[in-house]
Amino acid sequence: MIEFRFPSLGADMDSGRLVGWLIAPGDVVHRGDIVAEVETDKGLVEIETWADGRVTQLLVEPSDDQIPVGTPLAIFEALEDDTAEAAPPVPTPDGGTSPQPSLPPPSRMHVPPPPPPAPMTPPVRHLAHQLGVDPSSITPRSDGTITREDVARQAERLGSGSKVSPLARRTATDLGVDLAQVESSRPDGLITADDVRAAAGTTPTQPDPTTSTQAEADSDAGADNRMAAMRHAISRSMSRSKREIPHYYLSTRIDLDAALRWLDRENEQRPLAQRLLPAALLLRATALALREVPELNGHWIDDEFRPGEAVHLGVAISLREGGLVAPGILDAEKLGLDETMVALRDLVTRARTWRIRSSEMSAPTMTVTNLGDRGVETVFPVIIPPQVAMVGFGKIVEEPVAVEGMLGIRPVVQATLAGDHRVTDGHRGGTLLSSIDRLLQEPQKL
Amino acid sequence: MTTDEAKTIIFEVLGDIAPEVSPSEVDHALDLTEQLDLDSMDYLSWMLAINKATGIEIPQRDVSRFLTIDGAANYLVAHS
Repeated sequence: MIEFRFPSLGADMDSGRLVGWLIAPGDVVHRGDIVAEVETDKGLVEIETWADGRVTQLLVEPSDDQIPVGTPLAIFEALEDDTAEAAPPVPTPDGGTSPQPSLPPPSRMHVPPPPPPAPMTPPVRHLAHQLGVDPSSITPRSDGTITREDVARQAERLGSGSKVSPLARRTATDLGVDLAQVESSRPDGLITADDVRAAAGTTPTQPDPTTSTQAEADSDAGADNRMAAMRHAISRSMSRSKREIPHYYLSTRIDLDAALRWLDRENEQRPLAQRLLPAALLLRATALALREVPELNGHWIDDEFRPGEAVHLGVAISLREGGLVAPGILDAEKLGLDETMVALRDLVTRARTWRIRSSEMSAPTMTVTNLGDRGVETVFPVIIPPQVAMVGFGKIVEEPVAVEGMLGIRPVVQATLAGDHRVTDGHRGGTLLSSIDRLLQEPQKL
Repeated sequence: MTTDEAKTIIFEVLGDIAPEVSPSEVDHALDLTEQLDLDSMDYLSWMLAINKATGIEIPQRDVSRFLTIDGAANYLVAHS
């Protein structure tokens, strides 16, 4: 038996509100699947499971109550054998019953139910939306209802007919990838999210307009509350940072001539959907440089530094309505430049439609803020606890630069580092900025 | 495609990126990114959406034509 508990999405988070379940008893879930949506002071977050299992019981129903972090939310039973992997949800006698109170069974209704839409519980409707299935295209069951299985089956039909993991389907919707065009990299033919992302690199992508429409409606509804809660979260986190973290600051000017020339040449050969932004180069160089200076990559917890096992690179993303979030690109050091660009675009799109996942919120081991587009030339970052460093890039500007005794006009960027003096000193911090500089001089190797 | 048709598409997809903006608030001859505070990711997403809606590919060398609404509309009319 596996207890699925309300996860912490950051050091400063102690509770949240369960908005809805995306699973029902009988469903098989796998590590990384999105199982519920919660509202926190960081906004609406999709929480993922870190265990494989079959859902046996949902312990908490969606409500307006604040639930403390660590509260058991659901019970899974361990899968008996691996052949169950990637199998579609198994119907149970009560399959499709929702954790939320639903309409009474039609048989007990004296008046025939109104013509379609067929009754769907909110989580089922959400699932349909998530999978891009039009509910009116589904034939209701004999009792007039539409269940999760019906939606999943319809989604399967609409897909290529191959097996597709739920996360892959979601990623495909996010990235605007046609699943029929995706090839599996696995022997069993299962299409995974990685396959979808790989396909996104070669397929024109665009955020699904229906998703943003729904997100707009969502954000209209709770926008004011959300903004107030987010401001509060930023205030708590930044106050703690300034109170507890002895910051030191370093800054260096990086010549981007080679990087941007290379980028221009690359982009000239590429269709729009595969073009790279300078931000992707800066993030990629930072992720690689962090491998060389691991003391800047990790968390300060219980009066000691805990190095990150991987580089989960946080990206500060400002929202149009104000405020910002800093979710992470997971395992950023393992992503190539194109993959970094795809990940960045995906993350920005989802952050701006309030669809960040729990692992992305809690994971970052170091964060980059890039006010470079149209903002200021130099940014002095405030470290996000429990991280121990933050890198800032300002606006790319043209400046007179002396190179090999000659004066030239070159594009440059001011790179800054805020470091936590409890963990590192300026010398090590300087190494990171030098590494980023060095890596950006050979963009073709990024 | 007429200029009006092009502008209809341009504003339709812009609505997904900057939903609070109404066409009448935008000066069609001025830099869009500055007026609407679009960053480079917004700008790329906007061009991608135009590309998807019209099928017109925008080579890198022509990206600067899309800095204004008028420039973008003229480009779409010329390439439709």
